[in-house]
Amino acid sequence: MDLAGRVYDIVTDPNNILHDTVRDLVPEHNKMDHQYWRRVVRMAALCHDVGHLPFSHAAEDLLPKGQNHESLTIDLIESDEMKEIWSELAIHAHHVAKIAVGPRKYRKSMFTAWETILSEIIIGDAFGVDRMDYLLRDSHHIGVGYGKFDHTRLLDNLRILPKSYTDGSKSRERPSGELSLGVDFGGMHATEALLLARYFMYTQVYFHAVRRAYDFHLVSFLRSWLKSGSFSTNLEKHLAMTDNDVMAGILRAARTRRHPGHVPARIIVSREHYRLLYRRNPDDMKVNTEAAKLIARKAAGHFGNDSVHYYTKTEKGLTIDFPVWSTDGRITSSLARSDVLSRLPVLAIEYVLVAPEKMKEAKSWLEENRIKVITPKKE
Amino acid sequence: MTEEHKDVVLLSFVKLLFKKGSWCGETHVQKATYFLQELLQVPLGFEFIFYKHGPYSFDLNDQITSLRADLLLTVKSRDPYGPSILSGENAASFLERFPKTRERYRDQAEFVAKRLGRKNVTELERLATALFVTKNELPEGTVEARAARINELKPHVALDLARAAVEEYDQLADEAKSFQAES
Repeated sequence: MDLAGRVYDIVTDPNNILHDTVRDLVPEHNKMDHQYWRRVVRMAALCHDVGHLPFSHAAEDLLPKGQNHESLTIDLIESDEMKEIWSELAIHAHHVAKIAVGPRKYRKSMFTAWETILSEIIIGDAFGVDRMDYLLRDSHHIGVGYGKFDHTRLLDNLRILPKSYTDGSKSRERPSGELSLGVDFGGMHATEALLLARYFMYTQVYFHAVRRAYDFHLVSFLRSWLKSGSFSTNLEKHLAMTDNDVMAGILRAARTRRHPGHVPARIIVSREHYRLLYRRNPDDMKVNTEAAKLIARKAAGHFGNDSVHYYTKTEKGLTIDFPVWSTDGRITSSLARSDVLSRLPVLAIEYVLVAPEKMKEAKSWLEENRIKVITPKKE
Repeated sequence: MTEEHKDVVLLSFVKLLFKKGSWCGETHVQKATYFLQELLQVPLGFEFIFYKHGPYSFDLNDQITSLRADLLLTVKSRDPYGPSILSGENAASFLERFPKTRERYRDQAEFVAKRLGRKNVTELERLATALFVTKNELPEGTVEARAARINELKPHVALDLARAAVEEYDQLADEAKSFQAES
């Protein structure tokens, strides 16, 4: 909430508005409209994650089809429970919900250009404060240095800019220059640091193989522990369910052999998690982009579905292409201004995890069969 | 269509767009794919919403990212212009494995790439918005009504340019109909 308010203040400060199209869009400084949207942005940031389940993203697959934590966030923000708060603040619930989850998840109405920019402040691929906040917070609490970056320098240099750089066509007509969050060139290195921090935190923390193994065991436990095997989308039940309830359930199941969730619960409690047999790697990807999936499938056939787990995750969001304001007044793509960003790899992982008691045998099997399994076949 | 087949169609299409003179920035690929799916009925299954530069699919954005992760696509910076999305180092060997899938949608991809390949971002924005308005909002609307709606959704698109875009879209839709009847 604090970061969101600071970004809002910086990008709407008249001294930081560098382009006429932006001036037309941003409400007049410190007038009622300006203050209204400031409250909306801060509340949207505060409420962005209220729809999270116990243990956040780990068990999101256990929501009914078509539901996710963002749909719960929207339902909560627009619920009677919150009505009084919005009324006291004199803001509309649907504005808060829209800005909190963005156009991908809020489908009840179209976004104006202004609403699109405001939602970028919260959830934008490059500069979303949600991500800035969790990178800084998680790296602090975990005790790793690579999640930190100079966020004050970065915030000070954020600007709303038109993406007016062309596609090199000979047409004299300039692109419409849809507005987007960008950066003054002075903040370019701080931006690189943010995106590198994101890369390192994802590869070494959020996508770590052991963490992913525990997600798998947690989901296995929850499937047997939750009524009908999924989380409820009833708001009261959602709010009543906490991490503590789940932890207590895990401990109880781990101590009770007859409990349907006993095996995954015991694995979690006694740290008997599945071990990493194989991870995607560039050499095998050259041979077959499906290498990890094929190895997982064959391994499951050989060692049994219950002993093998395949996990894959690729980052969302296409590319770090945002507008950069240069000192000579030109607006160019970040990818043209930064060699670091243009070389930053896409985050993607695939793991084949195996039950610890099968690990030794699985390693030998993989050594013997890897080439044969990944060799591609023609359609 | 499986995810793998979707990759094949998309990858072949991006290659073709580039060959036909497209800059192949994200907007070019998004709008051309929108036509491939909605006008030529290639069942890619991407959900398009009205967003920046008109219709936009976050699913397609994810798919392109995933293809980049597999080194099937790559993003090339082209200073001082915007970046292009091009074939990656694993693309050729991957596509070689799927001759039937490439063949299945080749004509539809050719149809779109030939007509949209040389268009720039502003032209594509108007044309794709004309398709969006016709398909989702005013399927029976006159040229005037649809142009007015485009102007309402995208105020920077002047009415005369919106009108021209609707007329061009109508012609394209007629051609697509004849093409589909023949094939």
